[in-house]
Amino acid sequence: MPKPRIAKETFEALAARAGLPLTPAQKTELYEAYGYVEAMAERVRAGGKRAPLVEPATIFKARG
Amino acid sequence: MTEIQTIAEAGKLIAARKLSPVELTEACLARIERLNGTLNAFIRITAERALAEAKAAEAALMAGKSKGALHGIPIAHKDIYCTKGLATTAHSKLLADHVPAEDAATVVKLADAGTVMLGKLATHEFAWGGPSFDLPWPPARNPWNPKHFTGGSSSGTGAAVAAGLVLGGTGSDTGGSIRGPAAYCGVAGIKPTYGLCSRRGILPLAYSLDHAGPLAWTVEDCAILLQAMAGHDPQDPASADVPIPDYRAALAAPIRGLRIGFVRHFHESDNPSNAAVKKSLEAAADTFRRLGADVRDATLPSLEDWHACGMLIMMTEAYTLHEPWLKSRPQDYGDFMRDRLSLAAFFTAADYIQAQRMRRELCARYAEAMQAFDLLLCAATPFEAPLIEAVTKMSSFERPSLTFPFNVTGAPALALRCGFTDAGLPLGMQLAGRPFEDALVLRAGHAYEIATSWSKRRPAIVS
Repeated sequence: MPKPRIAKETFEALAARAGLPLTPAQKTELYEAYGYVEAMAERVRAGGKRAPLVEPATIFKARG
Repeated sequence: MTEIQTIAEAGKLIAARKLSPVELTEACLARIERLNGTLNAFIRITAERALAEAKAAEAALMAGKSKGALHGIPIAHKDIYCTKGLATTAHSKLLADHVPAEDAATVVKLADAGTVMLGKLATHEFAWGGPSFDLPWPPARNPWNPKHFTGGSSSGTGAAVAAGLVLGGTGSDTGGSIRGPAAYCGVAGIKPTYGLCSRRGILPLAYSLDHAGPLAWTVEDCAILLQAMAGHDPQDPASADVPIPDYRAALAAPIRGLRIGFVRHFHESDNPSNAAVKKSLEAAADTFRRLGADVRDATLPSLEDWHACGMLIMMTEAYTLHEPWLKSRPQDYGDFMRDRLSLAAFFTAADYIQAQRMRRELCARYAEAMQAFDLLLCAATPFEAPLIEAVTKMSSFERPSLTFPFNVTGAPALALRCGFTDAGLPLGMQLAGRPFEDALVLRAGHAYEIATSWSKRRPAIVS
């Protein structure tokens, strides 16, 4: 399991901002798993090298 | 051993009036009575309704009014498929009393094709939270060894088909939820092209990744079920408006000359598989060569890329659906679903958009890779079904998924058995193709299946 890079206090602040009613045990468990979130978020950014013209796959098309 | 027919076999016997739909339904109900207490495949059994439908099918067939290959065939639906007047719970306390007013579009199509519905099948909670022991119903268990996991989330469908409790069933696949159970339960299951089968009336997990599809004992049976399920639905915004070929008729063409890309790096380095899986895949590649296919190594982006992209999209889309309940009724979820999904709250909108941009890139690279191949062969799971108690809450994140690439691309992907371990647990593989070439994927799977003998073997529990 990748270790989270942020401190637990920061994680708890993010959890509070998200508005999730987490128990202390859940906070501990989710904090331990937070490294997965960081890893996925980093991976989809491709190191910031993605060309601006690459559009999201969800791009909206107007219909007549 | 009690003989369990395939859909194709039963259909022939029914058409020849050598087998009655009532007899067939009664045989399935008897197996359910005997085995469901161990396997937990069904969470709701509709025996009276099933027998009434079977009798109606019999009467229609005797009057010469056949609806085709599925007329009188017993099936069941994953309990995220809405069934009118019959509870559809997503295996969750939150929807324990949810009784839909309408059938899902594919439920209607399968009913119109003459199937007999035996009930609702176990699933992971909301198609992701499982295997969970803290839900209103227990998780399904693997008929090959009930101490082992079925795979998920179409867990009940995989178990029910493998044990002959039904001849076919519906599943859904957002990240592998048809193919995982197909591989672990030793049956066939296809995640069709995205949009081929209507999602309307199927409780969603992630809008842009959810696929509806069938599981059955054989690839031919999957083709028969898919024929009924596929088709444009103007009320599903993702529904593809494309001609639907005759999937069953297309099975017969030989596969000589087909170019098959063997994506070895998926199971050799990206998500290292065990020796049994590796050996079974090499043997499968050799079988395809003997059938005249041109099998060569293929390279796709790393599984870590597919996994990050697909999982982030899945989690964030699912979170938007569940956010109100996660905040107001967290105690009514099972731990697995609640905590897995809570992690999604930490992704940002920018994360989601980046994942969708990555999705476009990955789809382009897939299309480019598929210029050299007609089909891909790869692993479905890195090992055989584990013990059910060994599946951890965060297991979805521990290894990059072998199945996500084909949800991200929307390409058709079939899982089918390709061997057994020494302990008698099934091993599975995947065949995948280009979007809307589902018929070709099924053809190759069928050719492999009839060239091997894996489908002759049923779980010992069925005897």
